Amino acid sequence: MVVGVREGRPEKRAIIITREEIHMKMRNILAATTAIVALTSTAFAAGHETLKIGITQNNVGVDSYQTTYEKAFIAAAEANDAVEAIVLDAGGDVARQIAQMEDLIQQEVDAIIIWPTNGEAVIPAVRKAHQAGIPVIVTNSNIAEPGFDFVKSFSGPDNITQGARSAEIMCDKFKDMGIENEAQVVHITGQPGYTTAIERAKGFEDRLPEVCPNVTVVDTQPGDWNREKSQQVMEAFLVKYDDIDGVYAGDDNMGVGALNAAKAAGRDGIIFVGATNFAVGYEAMAAGEYWGSIYQSPVDDAEAALKTAIDVLKGEELPFLNYFDTPKITQDNMGEFTKPVF
Amino acid sequence: MATLTKQQIGSVLAKQGILIAFAVFIVAFTVANPKFLSVDNVFSVVRSSAILGVMALGVTFVVISGNLDLSVGSMMSFSTIVVLDLHDQIGPLLAIPAMFAMTMCLGAFIGFLVGYLRLNSLIVTLGMLSAIHGLTLTYSGGQNMDIADKEGTWFSVFGQGTALGIPVPIVIFAGLAALLGIVLAKTAFGRKVYAVGGNGTAATFSGIKRARTVFTCYVISAACVATAGLIQASRSLGSQNTVGQGLELEVLAAVILGGASLLGGAGTIFKTVIGVLILGFIQNGLLLMGLQFYVQFVVTWVIIILAVWLDIAAKRGKLWSPIA
Repeated sequence: MVVGVREGRPEKRAIIITREEIHMKMRNILAATTAIVALTSTAFAAGHETLKIGITQNNVGVDSYQTTYEKAFIAAAEANDAVEAIVLDAGGDVARQIAQMEDLIQQEVDAIIIWPTNGEAVIPAVRKAHQAGIPVIVTNSNIAEPGFDFVKSFSGPDNITQGARSAEIMCDKFKDMGIENEAQVVHITGQPGYTTAIERAKGFEDRLPEVCPNVTVVDTQPGDWNREKSQQVMEAFLVKYDDIDGVYAGDDNMGVGALNAAKAAGRDGIIFVGATNFAVGYEAMAAGEYWGSIYQSPVDDAEAALKTAIDVLKGEELPFLNYFDTPKITQDNMGEFTKPVF
Repeated sequence: MATLTKQQIGSVLAKQGILIAFAVFIVAFTVANPKFLSVDNVFSVVRSSAILGVMALGVTFVVISGNLDLSVGSMMSFSTIVVLDLHDQIGPLLAIPAMFAMTMCLGAFIGFLVGYLRLNSLIVTLGMLSAIHGLTLTYSGGQNMDIADKEGTWFSVFGQGTALGIPVPIVIFAGLAALLGIVLAKTAFGRKVYAVGGNGTAATFSGIKRARTVFTCYVISAACVATAGLIQASRSLGSQNTVGQGLELEVLAAVILGGASLLGGAGTIFKTVIGVLILGFIQNGLLLMGLQFYVQFVVTWVIIILAVWLDIAAKRGKLWSPIA
């Protein structure tokens, strides 16, 4: 069951559908918020054992992953009669997320799930919930270490392992091709400063020399999670290096941007490996142009977050870093996976 | 004799300060990496810059008319998403004019608010920056937009095609620059734009319909944004909702770098093109030098400020000129 909160009208079921916040590159100047509230007349399912779980998300609608995550979370909550979910979205705004945390504390929910807009800034709000006796579960991207004491569990992908797995996928392919002793790789990272980008890059750079010690990473530049930016970076790489055997991109969106650049320049035979398999990456794999990626489903992500919260409330022992599995996907085994919906 | 030469040099500098700064950077980057001036690289930089460049052409009109347009970044996202979506629904032949019409309606709306309701253009376009982003997200439901059949569509010609060996985005950018350059420099409308931006009161007394001129500038800007969106969409045949995010500031930087006055009344299309190319070549040059990204951010803007300083110093004829 899903309940959205809308200024003291908890008797109605409401789902906040969209809420956008615009970030300007250099500073936030103005934000416009649209909230469409769908109301239905269904009353609360009665029952004293209902677990009231609130979630404040980062920025729904800004990308397909987060949009799909929210839908999946709502679906999972609706499918579970024992759960009453309050679904909120911070629209990428730290201040709003802190206010939402305070709202949830006021409503005395049983547990709070937070997808942090900022790993540092939300810590005081998380501590406040902790002090109010409400267990906090962090989803998708962890908060900074000083806040760990106030968090019950982190549910999300292990980005360091993802980076390491991408390195293994690439190395295995080079071995198949017999070029593991001379291959040159370029690396396109996500947005500088983002934990996910840093962790994936670290996982890849640490693991590659272990499995393929003679492969060299000749250059690393950020593609900012942006296909067009990645395409531009790859164009410059293609000019700069006459010999590129592999490209590792921090996600498939950027990987496909790099692939487009290579195709336009007529450079064949480059092995592309990404992460967070997007539909475009899956299609490029099916077309035989893109070698592999890491399968990370926002549906798994959302369901894992809800399950972690429920398990915490049931008093089950959980590891602090409660990762859900994100397997390798390549042209060889892609048949085992359905095409991502985002 | 010596003074005369100095004066001559001075007057050349004053007129072409930004061009000289451009030449200095080109030489410096080429020394750092000889591949910088290879045909492949130059084509790739100009092609990448074409998207920003086409937008900057339109914004030049708005800035010369004495206004600002900060909405172009999210408007470009809008155009890109809309044309990609319509491509699969009604086919590219109808999708392109439909997208142009929708984007130009947004431009007309802004032009109406600024021109006819006389609202401050900074606030209006800042608001529209957010509002159009919201509109785009509502339209797409937050999903990435991709063309289903990427191989079989002629739509890719605008971003990926070549004409006589020259990438089509460059042809579009150059063609549009030539056309708008002529409009601005040689037509009655162009002179009205300068008059409205330079001295609005005088323009009114000369019988110029200021509101209509400002309105038209925003429609031109929107048409340029639609063209940029077309190139962008055609280039990658798929897009995120945030594809144009932050571009408004780069566009404005290019226009100002080219020497257009934020107060209105001054600037040319040619210099905007130079501003765009400086931005594009700096970013590419730093990338080829292999500078660490964090450093690139700093260096890019140091160079931009340096270029603006060189330009203004050349105009004033002295490097040191404190506010008196």
